[in-house]
Amino acid sequence: MKPVLLIAINFVREQRWPIFVLLLWVLLLAVLGLAANIPRDREDLLFVFKQVSIYVVAFSIFFGGSAIYSERKSRRILAVLSKGVSRQQYLSGLVLGVTIACGIYCFALGLTGSWTLGEAGFPMLQVWFLMACLVAACMLAGTVALMFSTFLNPFFAAGATALVLGLPALAGQTVAPRWADAIPVYSLVAIVLRSSYRFPGRAVWFPILLALVEMLIFWALSAQIFWRVDIAVAVE
Amino acid sequence: MVAALEFVAVSKIYRGFGARQLQALNDFSLRVEPGEIFGFLGPNGAGKSTAIHLAMGFMRPTSGYGRMLGTPFGNARTRRRVGFLAENVALYHRRAERLVRFYGALSGMGGPSLSKRSREVLELVGLESQSNRNVGKFSRGMLQRTGCAQALVNDPELLILDEPTSALDPLARVAVRELLLHSRAQGKTIFLSSHLLSEVELICDRVAVINRGQVVRLGRTADLLHCADRIKISARHISAQSFEESSEENGVVTFSVPAGSERATLERVWNLGGEIVSVNPLRRSLEDIFVEATSAPVSMDQGMVQ
Ligand SMILES: Nc1ncnc2c1ncn2[C@@H]1O[C@H](COP(=O)(O)OP(=O)(O)OP(=O)(O)O)[C@@H](O)[C@H]1O
Ligand SMILES: [Mg+2]
Repeated sequence: MKPVLLIAINFVREQRWPIFVLLLWVLLLAVLGLAANIPRDREDLLFVFKQVSIYVVAFSIFFGGSAIYSERKSRRILAVLSKGVSRQQYLSGLVLGVTIACGIYCFALGLTGSWTLGEAGFPMLQVWFLMACLVAACMLAGTVALMFSTFLNPFFAAGATALVLGLPALAGQTVAPRWADAIPVYSLVAIVLRSSYRFPGRAVWFPILLALVEMLIFWALSAQIFWRVDIAVAVE
Repeated sequence: MVAALEFVAVSKIYRGFGARQLQALNDFSLRVEPGEIFGFLGPNGAGKSTAIHLAMGFMRPTSGYGRMLGTPFGNARTRRRVGFLAENVALYHRRAERLVRFYGALSGMGGPSLSKRSREVLELVGLESQSNRNVGKFSRGMLQRTGCAQALVNDPELLILDEPTSALDPLARVAVRELLLHSRAQGKTIFLSSHLLSEVELICDRVAVINRGQVVRLGRTADLLHCADRIKISARHISAQSFEESSEENGVVTFSVPAGSERATLERVWNLGGEIVSVNPLRRSLEDIFVEATSAPVSMDQGMVQ
């Protein structure tokens, strides 16, 4: 467990600049909250809140899809895996790292959101539920991206991830709504996007649980693939 | 006895796009005994780093298998007892001491003993005064020293070093040499890939020369260097032209003759009015052996198979 934690913290440390940039969006929301006349501009605030929420999911795909690649490209992965670290532990560390990175963001967003939206009349607890949805969506999206990145470069990994996450959403729109839950990243994001002051939504935990279970499945799949990968072979 | 490192009929083919393939190791077998310093030599592209990466579990052999400290390659628990230094050292940009602690912790160490050990190994590689500087600002040699410290932090039973001194200054080279000899005295095994033949000659108990992915020479260093079938004779007051392939320095003519013919040669020297300075079995340098073992013409794309 210790190597997993170390790798996760190290990942967050290495990604501190992207995380910092991401946090600037939260800062933007906070500034808006300070500057705005909250009762009057409350719809705008909610709109910005939703926008800023979606970025973190995109970033989780970026984090997951580029982690192994950049470590291999810089060859730093060799010194790490020359220690008593198995490949599963390494992957777990990266998943945990992506989760912590997105968790930091969601926590900051949750704080700012519950203050600004809370003041505008949005139930505070519901803000935190939406953050839980986001974290779960990030964990799943990041793990899917990580799985593809074990054998694809970040560009293709991101594309493949978008496809895997987007197809159920498309099927949900065209075939039957239940399909959207097959890989529930879209449905989790949709919970955030659909919320409004009049209908803030309820705390439905099923998609979150499903996302966590699927995350484990994708993690196991990536471990199976990564186990076979020649990591010392140069990447372009 | 369990071998420290063992390759059994290992082959490795790198696959590129389409049908392009490159055979880096071909039916490669080697056994490194515990407690020895083993020199691993070979020309550029011979397959040394490939073999090392297979042993560390960074890659899987195309065929064949191998063991490290008794377990198959790629076992994470076994790697806790191993130290590794890659040929291109790449480390995170952190302060040296924290970095070394990080790698120690990855090997399951912790607490005050890890802090103590980190300072100790940085001192061993001569970086104690730099331990609070960021590794990202280090020179290449300093980075390689940090790499050494990182490899040593878990007090490994088996050290696998891929050209550990390529960027080091002469003083640091001597220090590393002493470090390796000291480690051997403690019963550690060292697998050392290097192009510095003089260094290998000085410290390695055994060496293997590989070429095109196969072992072409293997043996105890002393035996390889010792050439029992020729005798080296030095004499004064004779002309260098009197003996074939002789060299002259400060009036001393040196040449070698097949063993068994030294008596006749000595008499000939005396008959010519010469005076014998020394008679010794011929010792070759590792360089001679290296050149001889790898002299078959090698083109850079030698391993290409379609
Ligand atoms: N990732 C790779 N993809 C394709 N071929 C590779 C790869 N890595 C190494 N090779 C090839 O395998 C052969 C052996 O390479 P290796 O790095 O093992 O040599 P080496 O003995 O360590 O050489 P050097 O002394 O230069 O470090 C070379 O022909 C090299 O071109
Ligand atoms: Mg090499």
